[in-house]
Amino acid sequence: MLKRIEDWNYYELLSVERTASPDEIWTAYQAALVTYKEGSPALYGLVGEAERALVLDRAHEAFQTLRDPEKRKDYDLALLRHAPYFPAKAPFRRSVGRLEIEDAPPKKGLWARLKRLFVKKP
Amino acid sequence: MERRIWAIGGGKGGTGKSFVAASLGLHLASLDREVVLVDADLGAPNLHTLLGLKASHPDLGDFLTGSVPSLDLAAVATPYRHLRLVKGSENILFIANINHYRKLRLLRQLRQMEVPTVILDLGTGSSYNTLDFFLSANPGIVVSTPEPTSVENTYLFLKSCIMRVLKLYMDHYKIRDLHQRMLDQIEKNSQSLYGFFKSLMESDRAYGTILYRALRGFRPCLVMNKARDERDVLLGRSIADVARKYLLIDMKYLGAVPYDEEVSASLRELKPFYVEHRDSAAARAVRQLAEELAYSIEFTLRTPPEIRLPDA
Repeated sequence: MLKRIEDWNYYELLSVERTASPDEIWTAYQAALVTYKEGSPALYGLVGEAERALVLDRAHEAFQTLRDPEKRKDYDLALLRHAPYFPAKAPFRRSVGRLEIEDAPPKKGLWARLKRLFVKKP
Repeated sequence: MERRIWAIGGGKGGTGKSFVAASLGLHLASLDREVVLVDADLGAPNLHTLLGLKASHPDLGDFLTGSVPSLDLAAVATPYRHLRLVKGSENILFIANINHYRKLRLLRQLRQMEVPTVILDLGTGSSYNTLDFFLSANPGIVVSTPEPTSVENTYLFLKSCIMRVLKLYMDHYKIRDLHQRMLDQIEKNSQSLYGFFKSLMESDRAYGTILYRALRGFRPCLVMNKARDERDVLLGRSIADVARKYLLIDMKYLGAVPYDEEVSASLRELKPFYVEHRDSAAARAVRQLAEELAYSIEFTLRTPPEIRLPDA
């Protein structure tokens, strides 16, 4: 999907899977530090100073969030809610521990509407 | 029969493209796999020298002029079992400027060769001929070295490939007016490619989507040659990451080949390094590259959708 670097989520930014272990996240963070440090040869001729600093800041932010299980859980939930390719209320999806549909309030009003259609009012 | 064309290219001279091509060819041939090496360095061919052979006929020039009817006949046997070589032409001035028709004929014959693996050793730079050979391969392999000049030229080469892919698609869909807009925008800054696609998506989503998919279909591989320490090895991974973020392409980092003094010593003796120093760290790294390439079929075979690159 076409996105600005500012809009990349933390997993995309660190190039890890959403299921990455803490070790994988730490390794990816170290790699980002090496890639986006000041004077990094990998940026030569392509990336300016302001952009480098921006990615590095975001990488710090990403690591601070993903290293903490509580913060990571909240972040993942927020991602799930916004991700267009991850339907929040798909009852068939088994990759999420707990389906969102289980926590969703029961839909009210459906029977009431059907009743209004088919049942004649006395 | 499953056929693979690997093209070894890059933006800077002296990075070891021919060395990587020759070593990969020799390694695969030693595994009893039929390999044809094609010296497609149209400006300065010397792959035969790396294999310890002298320039002779038939060569690529003979095929292009029509004195040899097929590329298969231009592939001469080498002292190494299962390995054949299409030598580069001595007629540099003619071959460096081959016309579009001859280029298409060569591309078509490359695809039709009855061998499992064809390895193209490309020349330096970003001429249309070189880029088209690189883009027609599965995958194109960029060889870089850790020096900033080489890194800079690697990005330039990748940018040229991207612009060539987009131009081919623009020509195909008859949206050539976008080409100038792309050239104007892409030179601005590192996030310019994103900017170009963003504005294109806003003005014409259908063409924007086609071009973006074409771009994502371009998936080169990277080799860091002449690595002297761990930092150089990691540099390859960093380049792949930067290309993903700023050039919007997925590039697979195959690994690094360590620097070895013996490479130039072997060259002076006109003996292939890979055969002479089979147990060296560099030879081991080449074997690993070949393995990575073999295991990354899914990654490398994802060709652009809708249309293929120049075909006759």
